[in-house]
Amino acid sequence: MNISYNWLKDLIDIDLTAEEAAVQLTRVGLAVDGIHPHGDDFVIDIDLTSNRPDCLSHLGVGRELRVITGKPLTAETQRHGEELEIPYPTVLSPDFVKIENPELCYRFTARIIRGVEIGPSPEWMVRRLEALSERSINNVADITNYVMLELGQPMHAFDLDKLAENRIVVRAARPGETIKTLDEIERKVEPSMLMICDAEKPVAVGGVMGGLDSSITEQTKNVLLEVAYFDRASVRSTSRKLNLVTEASYRFERGVDINNLQNASDRAANLICDLAGGELGEFVDVYPRPTESKTVESPDISKAVKRLTGLEVSAKESLRILNDLGISEDDESPASGSNSKIFVSPSWRHDIAIEEDLVEEVARHAGYENVANELPPAYHAGEYQHTEETERKIRRTLADQGFDEAMGYSFIDKKHDDVYELVPGLLDHRAENKYVELSDSVIEGAVRMRPTLLPGLVESARVNFNQQNKDLRLFEVGRVFASHLSEDNLPTERELLSLLITGKEIFEERALPGRELDFYDAKGAVESALESAGITSAEFEAAEVKHLRPGQSANISINGHPIGTVGRLNEEIAANYKFRQPVYVAEIDLQTVLAEPRSPVPYAALPRFPSIVRDVSFTVRRDITFGMVRDTIKAQSVELCRGVEFVDVYEGKGIAANERSLTIRLEYRSDTGTLVDDDVEQVHARLLKAVEENLHIKQRF
Amino acid sequence: MSDETTQVEAAGDEFERDLASLGEVQLVDADPSKAEELLRILGELKVRHTGKKSAIAAAKKLIGKVAAEKRADFGQLVQTVENKIVSTIAETEAKLKDLVSKAKTESERLDVTIPGRRPRTGHLHPITIVRQRIEDIFVSMGYSIEDDREIETDYYNFDALNIPEGHPARESQDTFYTTEGFALRSQTSTVQIRAMERRGVPIRILAPGRVFRRDTPDMTHTPMFHQLEGLCVDKGITMAHLKGTVTEWLQRLFDKDTRTRFRPSYFPFTEPSAEFDFSCFVCHGSGKLDGERCRPCKGTGWIELGGSGMVHPNVLRACNIDPTVYSGFAFGFGLERMAALVYEIDDIRHMFENDMRFLQQFK
Repeated sequence: MNISYNWLKDLIDIDLTAEEAAVQLTRVGLAVDGIHPHGDDFVIDIDLTSNRPDCLSHLGVGRELRVITGKPLTAETQRHGEELEIPYPTVLSPDFVKIENPELCYRFTARIIRGVEIGPSPEWMVRRLEALSERSINNVADITNYVMLELGQPMHAFDLDKLAENRIVVRAARPGETIKTLDEIERKVEPSMLMICDAEKPVAVGGVMGGLDSSITEQTKNVLLEVAYFDRASVRSTSRKLNLVTEASYRFERGVDINNLQNASDRAANLICDLAGGELGEFVDVYPRPTESKTVESPDISKAVKRLTGLEVSAKESLRILNDLGISEDDESPASGSNSKIFVSPSWRHDIAIEEDLVEEVARHAGYENVANELPPAYHAGEYQHTEETERKIRRTLADQGFDEAMGYSFIDKKHDDVYELVPGLLDHRAENKYVELSDSVIEGAVRMRPTLLPGLVESARVNFNQQNKDLRLFEVGRVFASHLSEDNLPTERELLSLLITGKEIFEERALPGRELDFYDAKGAVESALESAGITSAEFEAAEVKHLRPGQSANISINGHPIGTVGRLNEEIAANYKFRQPVYVAEIDLQTVLAEPRSPVPYAALPRFPSIVRDVSFTVRRDITFGMVRDTIKAQSVELCRGVEFVDVYEGKGIAANERSLTIRLEYRSDTGTLVDDDVEQVHARLLKAVEENLHIKQRF
Repeated sequence: MSDETTQVEAAGDEFERDLASLGEVQLVDADPSKAEELLRILGELKVRHTGKKSAIAAAKKLIGKVAAEKRADFGQLVQTVENKIVSTIAETEAKLKDLVSKAKTESERLDVTIPGRRPRTGHLHPITIVRQRIEDIFVSMGYSIEDDREIETDYYNFDALNIPEGHPARESQDTFYTTEGFALRSQTSTVQIRAMERRGVPIRILAPGRVFRRDTPDMTHTPMFHQLEGLCVDKGITMAHLKGTVTEWLQRLFDKDTRTRFRPSYFPFTEPSAEFDFSCFVCHGSGKLDGERCRPCKGTGWIELGGSGMVHPNVLRACNIDPTVYSGFAFGFGLERMAALVYEIDDIRHMFENDMRFLQQFK
C-alpha cells in the first residue's frame, strides 16, 4: 500500500519526518518497504499483512500514528453527516435499490448527484493520485479513487441515465449473462457471482469492477454513487474466478468498515459537488443485515500481556493503546476497579476476537524490541529421530564413496507409471487407483506423486550428460507415495534410498578417469549403505526386474524380506533418454531396512595359528554362480575350511563362449596347531570333488 | 738411487699415469651418468695398485731386504707412496659415490605439487548440510526432532491450525490437492499438531520437512521446498523465550554477535505473531562490505528469515491443551532460503536439478 506523507499529515498533525514515521510504522507491524520522494511529497510503501485491511487507507495508517504519537486525528477524518449540507436521509421507495441476495451484499448505499460537469480533476488531486500510482481519469472517477485511498472504502459511480429504469438490483448473475467491464473485456459471469444490475442487466461485478456501458463519460450529467459492503468470501471467489483483482476487490475481500459507508459516501458526494458542480440528490441506505459489534472479554489485559510476552505494560497504558486504536470499553464492562473488561472491536477491525488479539495490539505498540531475550528452563534431553543416526552414516558412507546427494521433486510425470518396478509392498493392490495423483500441477505433466525415486535420478543423469559430465554417482534419500485403503485412506508414504552410477571411476583434481564402473560398483554401494545401517547379511539373487536389463539385475533381500533391486537400466529406458553408456541403478526400501534388527557384531578371538590358502579355478557355464560354489563348499561343513573368497572371473581366450573361468580362494586353519600342506590336501580335494559333482563343473587348474 | 727406491717411485708414477688415464675423473662433474663406470674402473685400479700383486705390495716385501741404514728411509718412502695411492683412491671413490648418489636422487626426484591420488569424494546436498547443522543445535538445546506425513488431511493442514473453511489462506490457490482430496502440506506446522497429539505437553520439538506450494519455479521459488519449524509449549512460556531461543540458535549457527529483530506480523496459528530478522552474517549488520553494498542483506544489515509467534489458543485447544494453563511459541523458516543465504546461491531452482557442477560445491 502506497501512502502519501503529505496526505497523512493532513489527517494527523505529526512532527515526524517521513523516515521517522516509516521506522515507527515498521516497529508496530506496518512494514515499510521503501520511501520514495515524489515532488515535495514522499511515498511510503507499506507491506501490509492480510489481517490489516483497515490500514489500506490514509485514515487507517493515521490511526496507528495516533497510538504512536498520541496526537489526535484531525477533523478531516471525523466528519460526519451533520457537517454536510446534505438532505439526510431521503428514503426512496425500496424499489430504487433492491438487494435480492443479502447474504452476499450486507449493506448498499446509493446517492444521486445531478447536473455534474465531467472534466479533468484539479491539479492537487491529480498530483496526489499520481504519487500513489493512480492514473487520473476524470473528476468523478478520480474522486471515488481518492476517497477510497483516504478512507479505505471502495465505491463506484454510475451514469444514472444509463441505468435502465434508473434503479439498482443487487442480485446473483443469471445463467448466460455477460458484462463488459471497465477494462473493455466482455466477461461471462455465473450464478455464484454477485452483480449490481439495473432493471435489465448487470452493470457492475459487485465489489470487483464496474461495467463499461454505465460508466461515467464526458456526456454524463447525473451520477449514482454506490458505496456498499459485500461478503468477503464472495468477492474473493468472484475475483478469482474472473482472474480479476482490483483495488476494490482487494479491499472488499479483506474487509472494509461497514459503519463507514455513509461517511465515505458523503465525503465523495461533497467532493463531487465541489469539483464537478452538481447538486446533491436522494440518498438511500439499504441495510438488510445489520452487523453487531464484536466484543472481547479480557479478565486482565495487563496480566495477559505479561503472561504471553513477558512485557510489563500497566493497565492504564494498555487501555490507552487500545482506545487510541479505536478498541473501546463496552458500557457493560464491570465498574472501574475491576481488571476484567469487555472491549468492543471497532467495525474496521476484522481481526480482533479474543484476548490474545488484544495482547498483540498492546505488545506491538509497547514494542517487541522491549521483549526480553530469555531461554526457557529445560528439563528434557533432546533427541534425533531414531533413524537419523543411521541415515547420517549411510549418507556419509555414500558421499565418501564418491556419491553426490541428489534431491528431486516429489511430483513427476505420469509417463513413468509402470516403467519401473517399485519397492516390494509399496502398492496396495486393493486400491482402484494405485498411485497418488495431483489435481493439477505447476510443472507441466508432473501430477504423479512419485512411487519411485528412479525417474528423478535418471533425469538427473540426462541433465549432467547434457553438460558433458558423464561420470556420475548420485544417490537420493526421499519419500515415495502410493494409495492405501484404510480408515482414513491417507496414502502410504515411505522413505527409499536410490542410487545411480554411470561412466568411469574419477579422481579428485585429476583429469584422467580410471576404469569403467559396472554392476559390481552399484552392488558394492548398496552393500556399503546396508552395512552402514548395520545390515551385513544382504542377499542378492538374479531376477527379472521391469526397468533393468535381463541378466544384469538382482533382487536384494535381508533376512528373507525383499527390499529392492539393483542392476543395469534396460535398453528401452536408456534409448528413451538417448543414453549411449551403461547406467546402473538401485533402489531399496530404506524404511524397512531401518526397521530391521542390526546384524550382531560378535567378537572372535584372534587366530593363534597361521592359515593355508588354496586358489582354485573352475570352468563354469554362466548359470553357475560364485554363490552356488561358495554355498556348496560351506554346505560340506568342513571345520578346517574357514573361508571362501572370490578371486577373479575370466572369460575370453581359452574359454568356451558360453563359459567362464571362476577363481576362488579357500582358507584353511586349525585352532589347535599349525597346519602343514598334507593336513590340507585331503579336505581340499574332498571339497573340490563336492563342488565338481554337485554343480557338474570342472576344475581348470 | 737404489733400484728399490726407483721401483717404489715407479709404482707411484704408474699409479699417477693410470689415474690420469681415467682422465674423465676430473670431468665427472659434467657427466654423472658415467660415474658408475668410473667407480668400476677405480675398483680395478685399487686392486692393481694396492692389492697383493701390486708394486707397492712387492715393495713392502723388499723393506726387510734393504740395508739396515736405508731401511727406515725406504720404509718411509713406501709408506708415503702407499698412503698417497690409498688416499687418492678413497677420495676419488667418495667423490664418485657422492655423484652416483646425487644422480640417483635426481633421477628419482618427484613433483610434489601433482595432486594426491584419491577417489573423488561425493557431497551431501546443501539442504541436508544445513538441516543437520541446525538439528544438532536444537538437539543440544533439548529439542526432539520430529517429522510426519507430507500428504495430509485439510484438518491437519488447516483446521487444527486455526485456518477455518473460508479463510483466505485456505482458499488461496497455494495448496496442491490430490484427486482424492488430500492436501500436500503447505507448511510443517502440521507436525506441531500431530506431535502435540502424540506427545502431549510439555513439548519441545523441531520439525524439518518438505512442504508444497503452487508456485511456478523461478529464481526464488520452487513448488516444493523445505521448512524447519520449532515448537515449545509449557507452563509459563512467553515471547521472551521465543526471542531468546531464536537468538541463541542463530548465534550458534553464525556467531556470538548475531542480533535478532522481531517485527509484528500475522499468521493464523500464532497470536501475537512476529517475523524475525537477524543481523547479516557477512557485514555484521553494517550493510557494507569493503565499502560496497553487502549482498546477502542487500545493504540493510538485516536478513529476513521467518515467521514466529505465540501458539494460538485455538491450536492448543485443537490438541486438547488448555491455553489458560499452557502457552507456547512456534517459529519457522525455509531451509532453501537459509542455504541460499549461507552459500550465496542466486537461483534456488538449482537445488532440485542435481547438476553435479552445483552439488559438488558443498563440502
